[in-house]
Amino acid sequence: MAPESTAEPPRKSTLAAVLAPVVQPLVAILIATCVGGLLVLALGRNPFEVYGILISGSVVGVPNILVTLQMMTPLIFTGLAVAVSFRAGLWNIGVEGQMLVGALLSGIVGYAIHLPWFLHIPLAVLAGFVGGALWAAIPALLRVYLNVNELVVCLMLNPVALLVTGFFASHVLKAPGPTNKLPDIDPSAALPNFSIYSQVNAGLFLALACCIVLALVNARTIRGFEWKLMGLNPRFAYYGGVDVPRRAIGVMMLGGGIAGLAGAEQVLGQYRAFYDNFSPGYGFDGIAVAMLANFDPIGVILAAFLFGALNGGSAVLQMMTGLSKYLVQVLQFITVLVLAAQFSWNWLRRRPVAALAQEPERSAAPDLAHPSGRQA
Amino acid sequence: MDFDILNSAVRIATPLIFAAMGGVVTYQAGMLNIALDGFMIVAAFTAIATAYLTGSLTIALIGAIVASVLLAALMAVFNIRLRANIFIAGTAIIFLGNSLTALLLKGVLGQDGVFTSDRIPNFPVIRVPVVDGIPVLGALLSGHTILVYVAYLSVPLVAWSLYRTRWGLRLRVVGEAPEAAAAVGIDVDKIKFQAMLISGLFCGFAGAYLSLAYVTLFAREMTAERGLIALAAIFFARGNPYRTALVAVLFGGATALSVRLPQVTGLAPQLLQLIPYVVTVLALVIVGWRTTRARNRYGAWRFDLG
Repeated sequence: MAPESTAEPPRKSTLAAVLAPVVQPLVAILIATCVGGLLVLALGRNPFEVYGILISGSVVGVPNILVTLQMMTPLIFTGLAVAVSFRAGLWNIGVEGQMLVGALLSGIVGYAIHLPWFLHIPLAVLAGFVGGALWAAIPALLRVYLNVNELVVCLMLNPVALLVTGFFASHVLKAPGPTNKLPDIDPSAALPNFSIYSQVNAGLFLALACCIVLALVNARTIRGFEWKLMGLNPRFAYYGGVDVPRRAIGVMMLGGGIAGLAGAEQVLGQYRAFYDNFSPGYGFDGIAVAMLANFDPIGVILAAFLFGALNGGSAVLQMMTGLSKYLVQVLQFITVLVLAAQFSWNWLRRRPVAALAQEPERSAAPDLAHPSGRQA
Repeated sequence: MDFDILNSAVRIATPLIFAAMGGVVTYQAGMLNIALDGFMIVAAFTAIATAYLTGSLTIALIGAIVASVLLAALMAVFNIRLRANIFIAGTAIIFLGNSLTALLLKGVLGQDGVFTSDRIPNFPVIRVPVVDGIPVLGALLSGHTILVYVAYLSVPLVAWSLYRTRWGLRLRVVGEAPEAAAAVGIDVDKIKFQAMLISGLFCGFAGAYLSLAYVTLFAREMTAERGLIALAAIFFARGNPYRTALVAVLFGGATALSVRLPQVTGLAPQLLQLIPYVVTVLALVIVGWRTTRARNRYGAWRFDLG
């Protein structure tokens, strides 16, 4: 967790302190690769061969690179969505559901409204943003006003979103035909596509733009500073004059909106219609992306490239070896687990565990509605 | 009027009760263990794989428990020793469990989404001699597999351990005031570690029940957020084992109804599958509303979240 790791003031500008943000993700990836390799070995395959296929299937050759870019686009959005909320101390892991709802609204606007392209595309994209933001508002409001664990609500709302959007795609607005999908979107709402090799589309540039904008917001604006403050210590932020409940709702809805953009990109750029159950779990991959990026918007781009490449390569892997794409998910969540651990430098310096136990643990999920209350 | 629905409510509630008892122990020790689903799915997979390979239900049950406890130990090491945030570690464990079992399903059993086989033995159904003939009571109490009885009997066992033993007292102190516990010489980390392992034990039962007794198959992500539903039941009952079990049975009843309804109403299946999730979220809303009011009155609370 970034907030914990920065909770202590930097001691000295030692080499270790400078390298920490780069070394930690690399170590995590290395550990995940080793564990994954052992797993592959246990399944009776050659790990070097498997990793070789993953790499060559993702970054060797122009078509494969284009597929990787296609796969990384939704991961940038979902990773950014998770990163924005986590940085402000809100556990928004309902990104999958927010993406689905955003995709549904985009799909509806895409086919039901007829406009010239320069109005239709922005409107359909905006619909995706609004859909995701509204879905994220549910856990946000419950968190702020009723102190309900947003993490549990988010996790519960993911299947709810899948079922509700599935109901729309299979009953309410079903297109004629055997597939559970909405009617195809108008060509005027489609995000332009660049290549025949993959479905990488203008959504990629929107994703990159979002990252840059959020990086600037984080680094240069008061709002970005307030989010960081909330993530580090909401009680302090509250006494410092930050309207914590309001910012919490805002940042959750912003995250949800960005997640909705992932859905918009999928519907308007890749599938050209809303299909039931289209996502292979981009929202969950986003958690891994955000963790690896240490919640930094620019880091999200790099992390999304890595996991996008793995996802792209896993399709080739599945064809060639029969190992399923879940290997990549296993790698991702081992990485998350390792990154969550506070190995840090305390552990290396062999600080006695007893001393750690006495440290008051920063409350993981602070009470936002009543930050002034005392903790039992 | 047939009382089958009572029988199925009891069965549907069984994995929830197992998971909820596991969750209660960690809840009382001050840990919000959201990884119950991860433990359960790994146990469910191990159960079906060992039952398929060995043909023995006993070995399968033991295997499921061992796998689940091992995963719980991993969670404990990361959360307690390495100070990983419990929510992040828990989320990672859930998705790790789901993807690992999906990978092994393909790699070991050679199936993509669902695995079942005739070679897997079934738990025998126990017919309680006298009660079996009585209409309502028979449907409730008789005609279940052994694991169902274990689940319901584990509730008083957990309650007794928590409220009537020295260990239970220590565990609750660790949950309520870890600093005070440390001050009187209780090894806080050790108690927390034990609580997490017990959580894994119960989830082992829950997973084995899901894949070997409730149905005889393994499907990807077959726990269907039961761990979170159990967690909601715990919040609702504020961690009391008896009340938690009661809430779990009510959730089971709601689900049993929702399984029955499509035959009666002809509603879309998606809308009926929504019921357990919506009920859970509503339960959380009620909990939140209640605790927020209580807090405003007393100005103190136990968990930041609940």
